[in-house]
Amino acid sequence: MKGLAPLFLGIFGTFAFSWVGLTVIPNWQIGNLNPQSDEEGTDIYPMPQSGMVVRGARVYAANGCIYCHSQQVRADYAGDDIERKWGDRRSAPRDYIFERPVFLGKARMGQDIANIGARAPVEGENVPPGSAASPAASPAPQAGAPAPSVAPSGVSPTPPPPNPASPAPPAGSPAASPAASPGSPPPRAPGAPAPKPPLASPPSSATANATPGAATSASGTPAAGAPWPIQTSGEPPMYSAAWQHVHLYSPRSINPDSNMPSYRFLYQTRRISDARSADALKLTGSDAPPEGWEIVPTFDANCLVAYLMSLNQSHPLKEVRSAAPKAPAQSPAAPPASPAPAK
Amino acid sequence: MNATGIPLKEPSVSAAAGDAEQLERALIDASTRVPVLMFYTSAMAWLILGTLLAGFVSFKLHTPDLFSDISFLTWGRVRPAHMNVMVYGWASMAGMGTAIWLMARLCRTVLRYPLLLVAGGGFWNLGVLLGVSGILLGDSTGYQWLEFPRYAAIILFVAYTLVASWAVLMFRFRRGEQIYITQWYLLGAFLWFPWLYAAGQLMLFVVPVQGVLQAAVGWWYANNLLFLWFGAIGLGTAYYMIPKVIGRPVYSYHLAAIGFWSYALFSSWTGMQRLVDGPFPAWMVTASIAATILTIIPVATVGLNHHMTMQGYFPLMRYSPTLRFTVFGAMSYTVFSLIGVLISLRSVARYINFSQASIAYSHLGLYAFFTMVIFGSMYYIVPRLIGREWRYASLIKLHFWASAYGIGLMTLMLLAGGFLQGANIENPSLAFSESTETILPYLRGRSLAGILLTVSHFIFAYHFGLMLLGLGRQSTVPTFLNPVEAEGSEAHV
Repeated sequence: MKGLAPLFLGIFGTFAFSWVGLTVIPNWQIGNLNPQSDEEGTDIYPMPQSGMVVRGARVYAANGCIYCHSQQVRADYAGDDIERKWGDRRSAPRDYIFERPVFLGKARMGQDIANIGARAPVEGENVPPGSAASPAASPAPQAGAPAPSVAPSGVSPTPPPPNPASPAPPAGSPAASPAASPGSPPPRAPGAPAPKPPLASPPSSATANATPGAATSASGTPAAGAPWPIQTSGEPPMYSAAWQHVHLYSPRSINPDSNMPSYRFLYQTRRISDARSADALKLTGSDAPPEGWEIVPTFDANCLVAYLMSLNQSHPLKEVRSAAPKAPAQSPAAPPASPAPAK
Repeated sequence: MNATGIPLKEPSVSAAAGDAEQLERALIDASTRVPVLMFYTSAMAWLILGTLLAGFVSFKLHTPDLFSDISFLTWGRVRPAHMNVMVYGWASMAGMGTAIWLMARLCRTVLRYPLLLVAGGGFWNLGVLLGVSGILLGDSTGYQWLEFPRYAAIILFVAYTLVASWAVLMFRFRRGEQIYITQWYLLGAFLWFPWLYAAGQLMLFVVPVQGVLQAAVGWWYANNLLFLWFGAIGLGTAYYMIPKVIGRPVYSYHLAAIGFWSYALFSSWTGMQRLVDGPFPAWMVTASIAATILTIIPVATVGLNHHMTMQGYFPLMRYSPTLRFTVFGAMSYTVFSLIGVLISLRSVARYINFSQASIAYSHLGLYAFFTMVIFGSMYYIVPRLIGREWRYASLIKLHFWASAYGIGLMTLMLLAGGFLQGANIENPSLAFSESTETILPYLRGRSLAGILLTVSHFIFAYHFGLMLLGLGRQSTVPTFLNPVEAEGSEAHV
């Protein structure tokens, strides 16, 4: 090869071709998606994240959760994710429009957690004392009802959807932390004045969808995913915020086969001053702190759990068919069902 | 148009006529001494650090409770630290060192202003150091392969500009009409990298793209870094070292051209296959899978070219350390690419996309191919910079075998374990934790492989240190792996 010009041109040309083809054109195709809403402009999905959740995402990034956990549900023909109850429909680009960074993930040394927030038990009065909402929202939520009593049943003691204040942390956190919210991307939240609707509509409709059983059989069969980790007795209800804390602190106390590192550095051991804190972890056995001490989450841990609880792709999307078997039954049912509790 | 234009003259040049060229070459080598050695020394330091981090990562993956109280030793921080140290610390610095030397040699021009390059290397070290500290302190960006926080990325980019603009300048001052194959690859690498890095940074941090496209940009970046930066330097180096050591021109110039252009065209379109069946338009993934399959063309042409060049000279691998490492690397390139094709097929990817098999793939590319080629080039270049020969043939042999067995074992463990793990993940009748348990024995095997690699790197670092201290052999004959019977062709080894 003699001329320098063809070499330069070729080097630039091949690369420009790839750059345009794999980043610019896709950006033109799916780079400007808007949230979807129904005709009245309510029931908007997805919603921008709140301050605590955004900070939680940074904790998630900083500690490399992405190297073991994916956040994407593949379609039923492409993998068994739906059958594994990781979600009831495949993930779509629109699910991620407010996420930055986006944690699709590349490995599953741990489970897919695209919908881990959707699995949180729907709580009535039985809010477990350690729920993540507490530090953020009000210092003392209804701490009265002891969690252990509801524990053994595992998921979703109360399936019925009309439950405005349902999953505690996503509801609590956005409202509670206006201070940190500048991080959340403000763009195009059409219509609805920003922070308030996110708590009302998506979570409630989410839970309505997360429990497809509830739509068809009213008997309240446990939500998708009952066979996930083994629930041992005495712990907070699975996937509740309190449970997430215990799991982060001591994964093997919940599932002896877990290979997850424990994140003790996100928790503080401190002496109990006058009364046990509402958000102290309920630990048993060798993990339990000595008498007179308690283990409480740091702010980062609370943010991380708030972030985890916000992971929820159960809201239907127009462009995605919901899981095959349920589709006919649910698609007519869902649109009326979800706005109803929202109002 | 064929072999005649290749400026690798010394095999054919008679001793008397070669004197002037020898002198010229010695002058060029002397001008590159400081910067290249500086890049190599830094790279070695990063290699040792990265190896230690890798060992920690590997052990911690099957011993999850290790040091769980210490935030900067949590697995999710040490893993990206290891990866970035290896990618930006070791591989990039060693690759740039080799590339600088090759550029100077092939452009037949002395290095002007070597101190600028040294400054570039210094900035690069600073960038990597800041970046790795940032990751360990919890400042990672969360984008795979681009975890360095922004302050580190900016420093890296400045450093890179110093190095690359300088390498391109050297190209301008070249003597001779012909542009040798190696120069195509090196020029490509030096021009692709800044575009790639800038595009990655811009599209992820400055004017971030929306949602899932960040993942697309991330994998586009990662794969192109692997192919167009490391792959191009590695292939260019192999195209220099193999003909040089055996003293025989490259088999076919035309094949090389086909290989280069098809490589540039197809390998740059790969990357999206890692997002198979994710929330993306299917055409993106399909285009990348098609491109991955088409990379068989450059693989075949490059492999054939090297093979035909080596034809009849394979026994030389018994003697020449450079040749042994380089040929191992060149062969690994074929294996790496073919496994890449295999695991990109949808039917296969369904099972292993989320398993540890993809770790095997990156290690095949970055270690078995690139790092081995670079080791080979260092065995060739360092004596020419220092004026001493490698001291112990036995250490070189140990280095080679520990590396070869180490990476071989690691690849096998991760591939086999990854396939089993992936099959179990895709079997919903099994509890999820079974899939993790399935791979644990293989991960322990991988740790064993890690020990081998650690041994190999420490041996090499020790040997390299001896060379730096001027403790190499003083001899006109290079260090052969095995005693050479009197034959003509080994003279240039």
